[in-house]
Amino acid sequence: MSIKLTTQAYCKMLLHAAKYPHCAVNGLLVAEKQKEKKKDSHSTPILCVDCIPLFHGTLALAPMLEVALTLIDTWCKENKYVIAGYYQANERTKDFRPNQVAERVAARIAENFSEAAMIMVDSTRFTMGCYEPILAIYDHHENKWKCRDCNVDCFEDWCEAQKITSALLEGRSYESLIDFDNHLDDLRNDWTNPEINKSVLHLC
Amino acid sequence: MASVSEMYDVTWEEMRDKLRKWREDNHRNSEQIVDVGEELINEHASKLGDDIWIIYEQVMIAALDCSRDDLAWTCLQELKRQFPGSQRVKRLAGMRLEALEKYEDASKQYDSILQDDPTNTAARKRKISILKAQGKSAEAIRELNEYLEQFVGDQEAWHELSELYINEHDYGKAAFCLEELMMTNPHNHLYCEQYAEVKYTQGGLENLELSRKYFAQALKLNNRNMRALFGLYMSASHIAASPKVNATVKKSNVKYAAWATNQINRAYQLAGRGTKENKCSVKAVEEMLESMQITMS
Repeated sequence: MSIKLTTQAYCKMLLHAAKYPHCAVNGLLVAEKQKEKKKDSHSTPILCVDCIPLFHGTLALAPMLEVALTLIDTWCKENKYVIAGYYQANERTKDFRPNQVAERVAARIAENFSEAAMIMVDSTRFTMGCYEPILAIYDHHENKWKCRDCNVDCFEDWCEAQKITSALLEGRSYESLIDFDNHLDDLRNDWTNPEINKSVLHLC
Repeated sequence: MASVSEMYDVTWEEMRDKLRKWREDNHRNSEQIVDVGEELINEHASKLGDDIWIIYEQVMIAALDCSRDDLAWTCLQELKRQFPGSQRVKRLAGMRLEALEKYEDASKQYDSILQDDPTNTAARKRKISILKAQGKSAEAIRELNEYLEQFVGDQEAWHELSELYINEHDYGKAAFCLEELMMTNPHNHLYCEQYAEVKYTQGGLENLELSRKYFAQALKLNNRNMRALFGLYMSASHIAASPKVNATVKKSNVKYAAWATNQINRAYQLAGRGTKENKCSVKAVEEMLESMQITMS
């Protein structure tokens, strides 16, 4: 079962990592809720249409994570989305293996959505030009997370994703990206990031 | 490219004051510091007086964060010239080596500082940072513990240690570090709230009750701390839902949770005023709180 990412989802993930280069960051990916469960649903990949940046810094504490998951779940239900994945970029650049936090949160998501994916960002290959996808995608098989090769097929439109992500990085859009931590600091900060969504649409 | 002063229409004095504020608040907004600081240094060095030296230090560290070794080198040279033989400048030279990932050379630099002055805390802490950068968490924790036996009052160190323990999922020891911080800073709502989060994460009824108390304490110290408010709600809800509590405890916690719900809704109403987009957030929070009430009973 494979997932694909839209430009908006990929973009915001990388902007989040770029905003806090000295911290670990994590967040959720959401997909549109499928209306009917097809018998041969194995052939259609899940499209992650958006990304919700969650925290930066210390990721291993429970209370705010629970609040975020519950709140975003409610928001998803309103917007006919479902939480379909979890991403994390570790504090140390060279460390892109999933840790206990990643596995736990991703497992929790998989309880509600069996095809959930866990995504680790490989910061060593993170460049302004975004010439290659820098993700490692993990699928849940028999209680273990197995890494799948991430290439341009994992994207709805890789050329568009590459072009737009690079443009937004150059323009320092990450300075205005809001994650859930920012929201808790000031409730007026909107974690759906409507302005950045507009910028992405604009550049499409 | 337009200069910072042109883009934001600020004077050099305002830029200097901004840098000072960022210094005092210990902000790590390195890109901005480099933008503002570099312009200040290049265009207005003569007007800055003795402030220029601390600005060189601030900009150098920010430049290291941004891989601007050219700028870092320039700042370092100016500082070396003005303060030959200074331990503080030697430490900056060490940090530059760290940024270039020359950890052995950096370590030697810090060792030479420590040879001249064994009580130099900055050099010892940099050595621990090297361990952290290399992913040697267990060693970093060990060294930091040793450091704190000598320098018991170093709050930055206690906080760093609590974070290292949290990352290793050793919540008990993280709580101990935060207890030290709360003892010496009883009015700091952030330490209270972090302690509560650690206790909550540890789990178990006793820890949940403790976490609720400390979330409440954090709120008392700062009634706008949203994390404390949410934390109070979550911990009270979980206690009330636990099969191990008696009816009285359950009733009180339901009351605390209901109070927190009210406060959360009010906070969102206040924040949502005026912006159309935030109305969806308000609604989502209301629904979330409602749905949790149902599952609680």
